[in-house]
Amino acid sequence: MQRRDFLTAGVTAGALPEAVPPGQTSASRTDPALPRGVTATAYANRRSNFSPFTTPDYYTWADDLVIERNRPGKPHRGKVLAAIQAHSDDIPLYAAGTVAKLIDEGYTGYLIRISNDEAAGKTVGYGVVQNEIDNNEVAKALGCKKAFSFYYRNHRMDDCAEVEIRARLIFLFRLLRVDTIVAMDPYNHYEENPDHLVASRAAEGACWMAAGRHDYPEHFRAGLKPVAVREKYYHARSPQGHNLVNRVVDISSYIDVKVRSNVANRGKGPAGANGSRLRQELARQGKRLPLLGSTDEEADFNYIKHFLMEDFRLLGERFGLAYAEAFRYIGPDANYAQNIRRYAEKHAVAL
Amino acid sequence: MRSKVLEKLGLAPFQRADVGETQVVRDAPGRPHEGKVFAAVHAHLDDVPYYAAGLCAKLISEGYTGYIIRTSNDEKRGGGTPAENILRNEQEHYRMAAALGFKEVFDFYYQNHEMDAISSLDIRGRLILLFRLLKVDTVISFNPWGHGEENPDHWVTGRAVEEACWMCGVETDFHEHLEAGIQPHPVQEKYYFYGRPGQPYNRVVDISSHIEKKIDAIVECRAQGGGNLGSELRARLAREGKRLPLLGDDDRTADREFVRQFLLDDDREFGRPYGLAFAERFYYIDLRPPARSKVDEYVARHAVPL
Repeated sequence: MQRRDFLTAGVTAGALPEAVPPGQTSASRTDPALPRGVTATAYANRRSNFSPFTTPDYYTWADDLVIERNRPGKPHRGKVLAAIQAHSDDIPLYAAGTVAKLIDEGYTGYLIRISNDEAAGKTVGYGVVQNEIDNNEVAKALGCKKAFSFYYRNHRMDDCAEVEIRARLIFLFRLLRVDTIVAMDPYNHYEENPDHLVASRAAEGACWMAAGRHDYPEHFRAGLKPVAVREKYYHARSPQGHNLVNRVVDISSYIDVKVRSNVANRGKGPAGANGSRLRQELARQGKRLPLLGSTDEEADFNYIKHFLMEDFRLLGERFGLAYAEAFRYIGPDANYAQNIRRYAEKHAVAL
Repeated sequence: MRSKVLEKLGLAPFQRADVGETQVVRDAPGRPHEGKVFAAVHAHLDDVPYYAAGLCAKLISEGYTGYIIRTSNDEKRGGGTPAENILRNEQEHYRMAAALGFKEVFDFYYQNHEMDAISSLDIRGRLILLFRLLKVDTVISFNPWGHGEENPDHWVTGRAVEEACWMCGVETDFHEHLEAGIQPHPVQEKYYFYGRPGQPYNRVVDISSHIEKKIDAIVECRAQGGGNLGSELRARLAREGKRLPLLGDDDRTADREFVRQFLLDDDREFGRPYGLAFAERFYYIDLRPPARSKVDEYVARHAVPL
């Protein structure tokens, strides 16, 4: 089957539904209040306002935007994916559907958490332990082969040596033979969390340096080999943010996996056990919310799916999909040397 | 893993901060260190040759497998551009290591004279990987607490080595190494250079029978370290119509004899009080656990049948 059956290109910014300011759910905005002759270059996302940690305020849509749909079989068999996150809830909230999809399509997946998540928990110790458990459970929910944690101090990663984090990622990329990463966009505008910035920059640098023969050559003495990370899916953070998007991934078939990965995040964030807590609170008031179901398990699942996934549903709706995640996708480099050689062969004339 | 509890139980000797009694270490017959591994970690091409080449040659001759790790790129020394200096020092480092019998050479290439700006975690992480990978039992390096050390490359290297030595035995440090099959491996013996006047030492190592190897190493240090001063002097004298018999009839002999005559005064001085022709000084730290802990000994003495 042809690639274009799954990757639909050519959705231009002009074809997108009209943008609305953050916080509004209205689908129409006829008067953008822009001065005459000024064209909008960033588009406000429709937001449900059920959770801040979903889609960012704005996207800039690339004119070569691609919709990545399900691919039958296991087209990625033999390939390795590393999902890199500063905190245990980053990948689950922002990119779990895509990670689950890629793993289902054959990738071997690994989850790498950079911080120790100590800032969430009734004490630092409890927070660290619960989030460690959560990270492992998220990896299981997504079908990852293994989870790694680097345990740098939460919210203080701008105090870390970025070069050292990068070195550890280079080591893992080489060891695991990583082809593709899913990570936070290192160029997120208005990013307020230093852990996100440091982790994503370290990942960005590690992707190409892992291929270098002169970067950390002692790894080769240990039997590792250079590896070039060829594909990158960069996701936005939210709420504040402004991101370039050139790939929208249809995660409709994986929304329940994404929900389960968020259920696994019990140590912090908007997901975890908030559904069952709300159900119990309502019960104490003599009330019941039908969508939460009749058990705590159902409540946690349904709460996340109904409230926390709503913005991903709204995003998908713009493209005719049930649910979607958006990325700045960076694919494999062209074979420049081969292209020049082909050109030379085609155009060379006799001496 | 070293811990306070293990130290209290006598399973991990506490690192002494005092100098202790100075011991003379002489040649050991046979190959008593067969199977053991040492890493000599220095910042610059000529550090190990001057401070510890005799000890390195001695340990290798007694059975150790030796590895040498240079942390800087030596760009500031060599008489050329920084780029030319890096190349020159790199190539001479290989030759110097070969002269001493090192099995393998590692270069980290941090910027010379500017290592106080690098991430201490990065260099330590790299040393931990190498110590584990090579299963290093013994290190030879700068004293991280040595007085009078004015070179930032020296104290940065020394400190990174000091920290890597015990952390490489802790499985939760850089646990991804275990994933690669590289196991924790604590360093158990340390020889710190006597790098500057006034620095402490508690070992005087007799290097008399290894002095030719030491000279071999120094003469390879031409970009820095004076390895070619003999041939340069010989050439200058020739231009002036003179000859110094000490320097012999060829450049190689001139370089070697120049080193022997003029550059080994410290080694002679260090050996003189002990009746040794040549010696090197070190601050030695022994972290090898005893065969039996205090608890084992107590149980052996006091346990009674049920």
